[in-house]
Amino acid sequence: MASNGRKADTVTLTIDGREVAVPRGTSLLQAAAALGIEVPHYCYHPGLSAPAQCRICLVEVEGAPKLQPSCVTIAQDGQTVHTDSELARGMRQGVLEFYLVNHPLDCPICDMSGECSLQDYVFAEGRERGRAQEPKRVFGRDDFGGDVLYYGDRCVMCTRCVRFMDEVARDSRLTVVERGDRAVIDTFFDSGLDGASFAGNVVDICPVGALVSKDFLHKARAWDLDHAPSVCPNCSQGCNIELHTRDNLVQRLKPRENPEVNGHWMCDYGRSRYEWMNRTGRIERPAMGRGEERSEADWPGTLEALAARLAGNEGEIAIVASPFCSVEALGALSQLAKEAGEAAAAVFRSPRAGDEDPLPGFPLLVRRRDLAPNVDGARLLGYARTGTDDGSGGLDEVAAHRGVVFVLGDDLNDQPDDFGAAADLFVYLGTFDSPAARNADFVLPVTTFAEEEGTFVNAQRRVQRFGQGLRAPGSARPAWLVLGALLAFLKSGKTPANAAEAFAALADEIPALSGMSHESIGPGGVRLEAAHA
Amino acid sequence: MSETPFRNPGWAGNTGEFELSEADVRGSAFVGRRPPEGVHPSTSASYPFMRVERDPGAKLFDGPWRERFEKMLTRYPTAMAALLPTLNLAQELRGHISPETMDEVAGLLGLSSAYVRGVATFYTMYNKRPVGRYLIQVCTNISCSLCGADEVLAAFLKHVGAELGENSSDGNFTVVEAECLAACGFPTCVQINERYFEDVSAGDVPAILKRLVSELEGE
Ligand code: SF4
Ligand code: SF4
Repeated sequence: MASNGRKADTVTLTIDGREVAVPRGTSLLQAAAALGIEVPHYCYHPGLSAPAQCRICLVEVEGAPKLQPSCVTIAQDGQTVHTDSELARGMRQGVLEFYLVNHPLDCPICDMSGECSLQDYVFAEGRERGRAQEPKRVFGRDDFGGDVLYYGDRCVMCTRCVRFMDEVARDSRLTVVERGDRAVIDTFFDSGLDGASFAGNVVDICPVGALVSKDFLHKARAWDLDHAPSVCPNCSQGCNIELHTRDNLVQRLKPRENPEVNGHWMCDYGRSRYEWMNRTGRIERPAMGRGEERSEADWPGTLEALAARLAGNEGEIAIVASPFCSVEALGALSQLAKEAGEAAAAVFRSPRAGDEDPLPGFPLLVRRRDLAPNVDGARLLGYARTGTDDGSGGLDEVAAHRGVVFVLGDDLNDQPDDFGAAADLFVYLGTFDSPAARNADFVLPVTTFAEEEGTFVNAQRRVQRFGQGLRAPGSARPAWLVLGALLAFLKSGKTPANAAEAFAALADEIPALSGMSHESIGPGGVRLEAAHA
Repeated sequence: MSETPFRNPGWAGNTGEFELSEADVRGSAFVGRRPPEGVHPSTSASYPFMRVERDPGAKLFDGPWRERFEKMLTRYPTAMAALLPTLNLAQELRGHISPETMDEVAGLLGLSSAYVRGVATFYTMYNKRPVGRYLIQVCTNISCSLCGADEVLAAFLKHVGAELGENSSDGNFTVVEAECLAACGFPTCVQINERYFEDVSAGDVPAILKRLVSELEGE
């Protein structure tokens, strides 16, 4: 302690022979984590309160009469802590043996296998064989409603799920029923979790396979999944997520921690909407020609022909773009339009929910009304909203526009067959063919956000990067690449080699983005205002 | 004071050395049955009385019960703290804590129904289903076990004619096992509703049951 009687705001202690300085008030568990030492734990979760009930994070503190729970023991100056002493290891082994008394060890059919704390800890430090002779008690499984299934036999009673519903969702629907080895997690009899819009998070935080997702049930083994950092595309909150993919299909979405956007959480609405990323029947090759004359072509020929048409263009340019497209794509399109002629209109359409859905215990996270990821990015880049709250209509003028019509990422599903019939030049950059695209002179297959890198601007005006999780079908290319190549033709410039270069080209032109780069945005994103502060 | 001849008169501390009546030991206010409004509000629901007459459909809470409930609430700082005595009161009135009772208590205290279920199921002294007019809890913990609790339990089951935990066909009795009743000096201890019967042996069982039935008939 400082000699002037005031407490210094950091404390220095020794953990496993290494010194570490941490802010006053840090728990031993977090202090150890700062050194890269993981103290095993079940009940502790960084997003929840710590009840110190699982008894597996006990560590040896020199001078203390017995082992201390590291999740709630606050680091003190000069403390010497052993997380891996004989005493601590022996205790963990004993606690783990108790955890296994009734655990079914059904790892071969358990979805958590491969990412399960019980499996990991027992494998690392458990006894080779248990000594319990008695038959194990059997509960079977319980459907909690929503996407959540409960396997009582696997539960380690850490109560993370109960505390998530109490503290974060503020909807105390889960509880521990009964006690001792009869204890199970349950709701109020049959009331279930239906209608609790953030309940899917209990599956993520369950350290074992007791709470599993029905959607993901027996779909893939954890170690077969690739993880791509991404951003949830289902509303303009832009929760940071991972795409978990296998066989070039998204198998599930999982939240990725970002304390300024979504904490450790995501909503069930966003989590459940990923099937569209796997939809087949995509446009796979570029094509030219209207209606009957349509024929497939290769990229160089198509782009050259299109660039020639744009170079000689004299008409005004109307654009319909989708807020599911990246900043890079939307930006490149508006740059291209600027280069090729006068702007007539630049609009986007997107569905809007009737209301917002906040997460009471983590108020930064709100399922927003705009059910698209880049509405704010589209606005920033000069696109205006049109159409109704279900994402349709509003295109009558564009449909009859006489100059150049660009459609990027909007499927035009509600539009008539003669959409763009009056246009001099109609370019359709999309993922799926649609009857309203039959008059397009050029059909250019582009990728979805899951198949490319890029950035979105969320409702907090935060620019966030997403990574590629899937391979693109056929010769579909990212829209920023296609549009960048056209721009390079028109300006005799260089085609961007990657999304970061496409972003850099935009940052040069658009004041709001100036000074930003993919590198400076980093994995956690940057607010537009903060970048210029 | 009952004249029924059996060794144990049915109150705590009778070792045969004193000539004390049940009324002397308990105080006359504690002999027989509790009045429905309890004794004094200050003791309200501090102990889960088992009344012989109970009403599973009774309103939570009305009249004198309401008074006890409100008086009790003043003694606890939070709704969570008041949950156990509220459940006690509900069980005293209704005889058991049904899912509907849990839900109503949750509503009364502003707690979630799931939380109330968690608490009610944690404590074995809340009956989660209807029990007989007399709930016979036989201690089978160590001291009593060493002194023949198993035989006492078997005798109760035999004379009552019901399985462990099941209600007898006349609805008078439910026999359950209990953990330590804190009367280890007087094994086997049996708690029947709010009364302790100590030094019970298997041979005492018919007389105890007879006394209980006679009390019912004496109503
Ligand atoms: S279900 Fe999972 S999160 Fe909930 S108490 Fe059991 S082990 Fe913990
Ligand atoms: S709140 Fe929005 S961004 Fe977050 S998970 Fe839900 S839909 Fe996705």
